[in-house]
Amino acid sequence: MDFWIIMTKLILLLYLAITYTQSQNEELAWSIFSLLIYFCLNILIYIVKNKKVKNFILLLSLLFILGMQKEIYPSLIFLLPIGLFEFLSYDKRKGWIALLISFLPEFIISERMQIQYGFVTLVSFLVFQMASLYSERITSYIAKLDKLRKDMQRLSKNLNENQAYIKQQEYTSKLEERNRLSQEIHDSIGHSMTGALIQMEAAKSIMESHPEKAAELLQNAINISKEGIESIRKTLKNMKPQTEQLGINRLRLLIDEFSSKHNILAPFTYKGNMDKITPIQWKVILENTGECLTNILKYANATRVSIDIQVLNKFIRLEIKDNGGGVEKVKKGLGIIGMEERTAAINGTIIVDGSNGFSVTTLLPLMM
Amino acid sequence: MKVLEMKHLTRKFGDFIAVDNVTLAIDEGEIFGFLGTNGAGKSTTINMIAGLLHHTKGEIRILGKDVTKNKKFAKSHIGMVPQDIAIYEDLTAYENIQFFAGLYGLRGQKLKEQVEEALKFVGLSDKAKSFPKTFSGGMKRRLNIACAIAHRPKLIIMDEPTVGIDPQSRNYILSSVRKLNEMGCTIIYTSHYMEEVEEICSRIAIIDHGKIIAEGTKEQLKAIITNTKDIWIGINSTDTLDLSQLKLINGVKEVKVEEDVIKINSSADVNNLNTIIQYFIAAGIEIRTVEEQAPNLDTVFLTLTGRNLRD
Repeated sequence: MDFWIIMTKLILLLYLAITYTQSQNEELAWSIFSLLIYFCLNILIYIVKNKKVKNFILLLSLLFILGMQKEIYPSLIFLLPIGLFEFLSYDKRKGWIALLISFLPEFIISERMQIQYGFVTLVSFLVFQMASLYSERITSYIAKLDKLRKDMQRLSKNLNENQAYIKQQEYTSKLEERNRLSQEIHDSIGHSMTGALIQMEAAKSIMESHPEKAAELLQNAINISKEGIESIRKTLKNMKPQTEQLGINRLRLLIDEFSSKHNILAPFTYKGNMDKITPIQWKVILENTGECLTNILKYANATRVSIDIQVLNKFIRLEIKDNGGGVEKVKKGLGIIGMEERTAAINGTIIVDGSNGFSVTTLLPLMM
Repeated sequence: MKVLEMKHLTRKFGDFIAVDNVTLAIDEGEIFGFLGTNGAGKSTTINMIAGLLHHTKGEIRILGKDVTKNKKFAKSHIGMVPQDIAIYEDLTAYENIQFFAGLYGLRGQKLKEQVEEALKFVGLSDKAKSFPKTFSGGMKRRLNIACAIAHRPKLIIMDEPTVGIDPQSRNYILSSVRKLNEMGCTIIYTSHYMEEVEEICSRIAIIDHGKIIAEGTKEQLKAIITNTKDIWIGINSTDTLDLSQLKLINGVKEVKVEEDVIKINSSADVNNLNTIIQYFIAAGIEIRTVEEQAPNLDTVFLTLTGRNLRD
């Protein structure tokens, strides 16, 4: 903005200088002096930061122009309009009033300058209006950019938090798993080993006196050991968590927590081979369910929400449906858009239907 | 050659999103079906393709050219049969077609020839001089189709052309859709009648709440849900039944006996009903009932959206 006004003033000054050399004005020293004073004042305007001082200097320079043009240097009046616009309006809607005022000097200047003055006024007006329009636009763009930057920051912070949460969750479940493992070893395997050991020791001590009894005891020990090995195998098999269990249990946890905390019935059903759901799909399923449950709490006024997962031949279908008021025409808020984006990222689709309660259906293609 | 391409097509009415980010391409020579409930966004999409509605976002290309920049080109290659019959009751059938074809710039001998051809095509040549008010619903529909095809468009859009007409006219329309297709027209056909779409369309998109939720041939769509079918055969007695023989039949995956019903689970893409029945006949077992439970587009729609096509 300032740049454009300064440039206009500079061009006007150059114009004045050129016309001066071609005219026969005798007051050379005074004219140069007045130009320099104007120059100084105007430089000062853009150096000073305080708005009041700025306006004061501007006014000073305008009065100076008016004073000087009468006696010494008539052409100086050409510099009046741009200064006037600047002084009267940083608000471009008042521009037209400023334009009218700046035409007033037409009546006091000499006849041969009137046309030139009118032209200069119009050009100055045009430059000023354009400059203020563009600078306004730039300011609004900068504000928008700032807002976007802030949003991005917030979102990436959320993302980081979520990731940390997921890691924490994984760690917790690992610990739980480890606990369970040691308990299991203690309970079943430990007992059978001890049992077998006792039997074998007994067999050893009566080997000489009652060989048949000893053989029987040994057979017992063998049986116990066999059972022990079997139970180790079983334990290990159970121990290895399937991805499906991680996903489904986490989902269950989420739903149960929601249901008990808010006193809303939340039956969870599933059908099909849950092994086919990949971890990344579980992530989307979990996040979408979480989002839906939050929405239901916020808007739905529901007493029941059903969560259903079906693994079809080519698709996974997650439906979350409440018995609340629903909505006739669904307006997409950030939540729904977020679900849509998440789902679209793994080639899925979301169907939102508010005609009978509110339902959100997530369709994800199976990854083979 | 893609006759029609839509990319990220979106239409909003205020806050309401009628068509949501639809991306689709239709090849030359296809009969493409839009299947969806009332209010799913079928007509909005079609009206945007035909240039009757502006799109909020996205892009539509007809024969490779953007419709917003080449309106005249696009319109001259599209024939639109709207959902509501659009003919003039006080013009004769001939004049109606003449009028609509004239709008596309047809004149003189060419106009006459093509109007007569269109009339013949829809089987209304003998009614050329009659007024539509004397026509049945089906005849009006046919006249409406004639109006849309007289200028020989490459792409014909039919928006629920069989709503509210008698079965005979319906069959006539379906067979003329096929005939138009054989003559080289690409056709977009919308309906909420699953049977029609299943019968004539080479490719189908299922639309719900403004979104395409699945797209493909009907076999592909059905395979979304399952790739097996159930065949239930009711018989009189299971005494002489040899399940191991049944299991050897090509495609059969599982055989269960529940009282006097044999439930056979088989691959959906193997046609083995004949072989299965032959086994029963050869074994001297009397068949009482045969029931095949294969998924149809209705079940696909129901399973994916949780709602029926026709509520």
